[in-house]
Amino acid sequence: MSILNRLRLTGHLDDARLTAIWTDAWAAGVRQTHRHLESCPACRARFGELSSSLETIRVEAITEADESFPAERLAAQHAQIFRRLEAAERPARVIAFPRFAQPLTSRTSHASRWIAAAAAAGLIVGVGVGQLMDLRHSLSMQPAAQARVAPASVSRGLDSRIQAVSATRDEAFLSELDASLARAAVPELRALDAFTPRADDRPR
Amino acid sequence: MTGAQAAGFTGREADSSAASAVKALQGEGRHAEARERYAELVGRHQRRASRIAFHYMRDVAEADEAVQDAFVKAYSHLSSFREELPFEVWFTRILINGCLDRIKARTRRERWIAPMPDGPAGERDFAERVAGRDPSPEDQLLARERRERLAGALAKLPERQRSVFMLSHYEGCTSREVSVVTGLNESTVRVHLFRAIRKLRTLLAEGHAVAKVGKRRVHS
Repeated sequence: MSILNRLRLTGHLDDARLTAIWTDAWAAGVRQTHRHLESCPACRARFGELSSSLETIRVEAITEADESFPAERLAAQHAQIFRRLEAAERPARVIAFPRFAQPLTSRTSHASRWIAAAAAAGLIVGVGVGQLMDLRHSLSMQPAAQARVAPASVSRGLDSRIQAVSATRDEAFLSELDASLARAAVPELRALDAFTPRADDRPR
Repeated sequence: MTGAQAAGFTGREADSSAASAVKALQGEGRHAEARERYAELVGRHQRRASRIAFHYMRDVAEADEAVQDAFVKAYSHLSSFREELPFEVWFTRILINGCLDRIKARTRRERWIAPMPDGPAGERDFAERVAGRDPSPEDQLLARERRERLAGALAKLPERQRSVFMLSHYEGCTSREVSVVTGLNESTVRVHLFRAIRKLRTLLAEGHAVAKVGKRRVHS
């Protein structure tokens, strides 16, 4: 239903129409006259109520804001704004790195620095050469180790020969021991020797 | 022409000449003098800017910071200010954009950080405020409730409606000025104002009814 129809039916302006009149008056910037409002005291009273309620809202809001920003606060804000502006325009200050009473570099002479460098280089070279020597040694040992690893048949033959050699050597060693004992001319020990059991004396 | 309008025009002319002078002094590198001249502009617009920021932020400290930021930003970008636009309008635009950015940041913060419960400090502050003023504590309390209800209703308005309502009704800007500040055309500004008033009245009426029911329950 249009506003005009509603007006015809009820004879009064509704809230939406009153608000529209108020908004139009604000947009025009001047107080506008409305034919119905001029002639209808009820609508005029409702329009007055709308206007005064909006005015109350405005006054309430402005009072609250002004109470929140008293003159002292505004003065502090003003000062703070200009402090910030001044700080923004000042060129950036470079803070010097904390300096020591005496520069650290003056304590060490060039000679000692060279000595330290030479020692470090010598150490590095020594370690390097050592590693190289070790590498060469291990490389030279490799063929000998390879030679030690002989085929299985050869090793079997060698084993039997080694066993035969070791058996004859044992025999010779024992007989030599016997001979030396027989030759032993320590009379004090002979009695002791007589008491000592021999391997041959054990019952078989 | 009314007295207020005449005063407005005089103020605007003074603003324009001050802004031009500051711009020229900045260009010549005479920064101390530029700041001195800029102090005039700050003095003239500081209260109004604080009001606008407070209506947006609803927090004194944040509003204070927003105003400071806006004045600093306006000073450093004064070279981009065009004289055909009133300084007031140009500056208000900077201020409102800053406030909206802060509100966005605050919303993001509040999403992740739990708010601090009202401690004894807040209660003491309120008690001091109530005791220190001329109206009775009951009047103070009622006024506080009314303001909170109004602020709550205003916060429920969509951003554009809220901006249009605050600029036009609280700050007395014309439809053209609101149009320049918000970037909306004048007829849209009018529609937003109409809707804002309708919604605000509905919300306030609802809030009033709820408060009445609450009081009746307490008394019974």
